[in-house]
Amino acid sequence: MSENILVIGGGPAGLNAAIMLSELGVNVALVERDSFLGGNPKKFKYKFLFPDMQPADNVIGELIKKAESGGNIKVYYSSEVSDFKENGKKFDAVIKSASGSETKTFDSVIVATGFEHFDPARDAKYSYQLFDDVIDIKDLERMMGENNFVRPSNGKPPKKVAFILCVGSRDRHVGNQYCSRVCCTVSVKQAIEMREHFPDCEAYIFYMDIRTYGFFEDLYWKAMEEHDVQIVKGRIAEITSGPDNTVVCKGEDTLLRGPFEIPFDMVVLASGMEGGPQSPEISSKLGIELDEHGFLKPENVTLSPFKSNKPGVFLAGACTGPKAISDSITEGAAAAMNAYTYAVKNR
Amino acid sequence: MALEKHDNKNLGGGRPVAEKGEHIVARHLIEDDNIKEEKNLVIDGVDVSGRWNTFIISRVNSDFDRSFFEEIKKTVVGSRINRCWQCGMCTASCTVTPLYRRFNPRAFIYMMQLGNLKELKKYIDVAWRCVGCYKCSQRCPKQVNPAEMMEALALVIKKYFQEEVKTKLKLDEEVKKIYEDMIIGHGRLDLAKLHTSAMQKSGKTKELFGKIERGAILKMLKDGRAFSVLRLGKPHNWSSSKEAIENYLHKLNTIENSEAGV
Ligand SMILES: Cc1cc2nc3c(=O)[nH]c(=O)nc-3n(C[C@H](O)[C@H](O)[C@H](O)COP(=O)(O)OP(=O)(O)OC[C@H]3O[C@@H](n4cnc5c(N)ncnc54)[C@H](O)[C@@H]3O)c2cc1C
Ligand code: SF4
Ligand code: SF4
Ligand code: SF4
Repeated sequence: MSENILVIGGGPAGLNAAIMLSELGVNVALVERDSFLGGNPKKFKYKFLFPDMQPADNVIGELIKKAESGGNIKVYYSSEVSDFKENGKKFDAVIKSASGSETKTFDSVIVATGFEHFDPARDAKYSYQLFDDVIDIKDLERMMGENNFVRPSNGKPPKKVAFILCVGSRDRHVGNQYCSRVCCTVSVKQAIEMREHFPDCEAYIFYMDIRTYGFFEDLYWKAMEEHDVQIVKGRIAEITSGPDNTVVCKGEDTLLRGPFEIPFDMVVLASGMEGGPQSPEISSKLGIELDEHGFLKPENVTLSPFKSNKPGVFLAGACTGPKAISDSITEGAAAAMNAYTYAVKNR
Repeated sequence: MALEKHDNKNLGGGRPVAEKGEHIVARHLIEDDNIKEEKNLVIDGVDVSGRWNTFIISRVNSDFDRSFFEEIKKTVVGSRINRCWQCGMCTASCTVTPLYRRFNPRAFIYMMQLGNLKELKKYIDVAWRCVGCYKCSQRCPKQVNPAEMMEALALVIKKYFQEEVKTKLKLDEEVKKIYEDMIIGHGRLDLAKLHTSAMQKSGKTKELFGKIERGAILKMLKDGRAFSVLRLGKPHNWSSSKEAIENYLHKLNTIENSEAGV
């Protein structure tokens, strides 16, 4: 008899976990709350991925194809785990979907419920939603994914664009002290794409630190050295409207000292990643710990980042903190291995 | 609206003309250039001279001028301006900065990147003081070649601040002329003469005949250094060398002018 394992969340992490388990002959129930698989990259139509600018379809499309082409994976779309109980070393879960509820017993569980984009409207100083030409990196991903890079206010291509880093991250005022890790790299990647397609459009990045860690640094160098992207040190304190339908970024140039108020055609906010409402929900439903940042808490961040505090429940991907797709996929595989071992041991 | 500006003092019992910005309470906090005030101004027949037309220009930087960056990037010496990420390794390595704190290659590069001429203008007196030791270029992690960027800076200053160069760098230009004449005329540098001419030009004639200078001159007369130039004469076959140098200087000038777009 083969094992039954529940995977919650069909983003890169959950997909890879499900695929690996399926290859081991495990019966996988993949529960996804959206009507499609692929997680945030799919939802916001990421087009090209850092670090190598490969088409997102090469990665996300590939994973979805594998997961949907049967094998031992049963995908539950637009569904959720409505009830969850421990049953000895196993788990009884109720999967609720449009077609009704199904109760099943699982040998182990992988939580891969991912992250939510920080909603910049929560930080009023950035005037998101107030001005059409203030957008954020997920909006820009989508605009570029849809080949529709224009100023929302008038449908014309912008001539001068500002990226503002650390929106919703590293800021006590919004309640997030942590660094979201990917937004610097996403921003320089987008600035490169923008300059490639629209060489007439100037790109400025307002930063406090640029954290394109590891090899992502290559993109940062490329943005400056091959695409003349200009970095300006200082966080933006306010966005107001300016003359000629511009949006004005108000800040301090901390290198030269002194205030600036620079008009732009368009401003892109590098909003960070949050645990979202799903993290506390899953935490209370499954009885696993939440950390002080609003993400799910691993049993030991260094030794076993893919284990929850509850034996038999494993974690993968951005549900435990901001990270890139490659890390999410790696953790999906690590969680799969651990969930499988647990299941086999308790057969 | 009839606007009349007078160069001469308001005649006919006009208000007494004060110093520029004198009435501003915290005058010391405001830079001279930021105060706009017409000494004598009449609008529609109403005398608004002096404090009645004072206008303080905001210190807020209100735009980035990228055309300037593009211009520098096109020059040979400034082509790597896009690389600089403002780490400050150049300034930390610089030979000149410890002597003139206001000479800051990192900051100058940033001003050039953002086209902040307003800020650059404040540093015309020191901005050209790079001695070309290349320590900065040897250490710069981005291989910006800041030493040559300082040359780009000199070009920029020459082009955009001609007036200021004439006034603020008058002495330097004059001493440079003496230096060049010496080299081209005699093929040798007479340091003693360069020194005394520079002192004269800067109006330090009194010091020239002070105790220290007198002592030095006496010593040089005694040990014969004062006459060495006369005795040595011009270098061998100087006229052809001179021609080559003049040729070079001429070419350099043409290149510089074309790079600066003068
Ligand atoms: C703007 C932006 C651009 C990025 N670009 C890149 C890039 O170019 N390259 C790169 O490597 N990384 C990139 N990232 C990071 C990347 O998005 C994440 O690493 C990745 O999405 C994390 O995968 P995940 O599966 O853990 O989570 P997610 O992608 O968030 O997927 C989680 C899935 O779980 C589902 N779910 C959530 N809660 C429940 C629940 N209770 N029940 C059922 N299902 C649930 C969600 O609907 C979702 O489908 C970017 C991030 C941002 C913010
Ligand atoms: S990755 Fe960059 S933009 Fe994002 S929070 Fe960290 S420092 Fe800020
Ligand atoms: S020129 Fe080089 S050393 Fe100087 S600040 Fe720029 S990157 Fe650093
Ligand atoms: S070359 Fe010029 S700027 Fe560079 S270290 Fe020497 S004096 Fe300073």
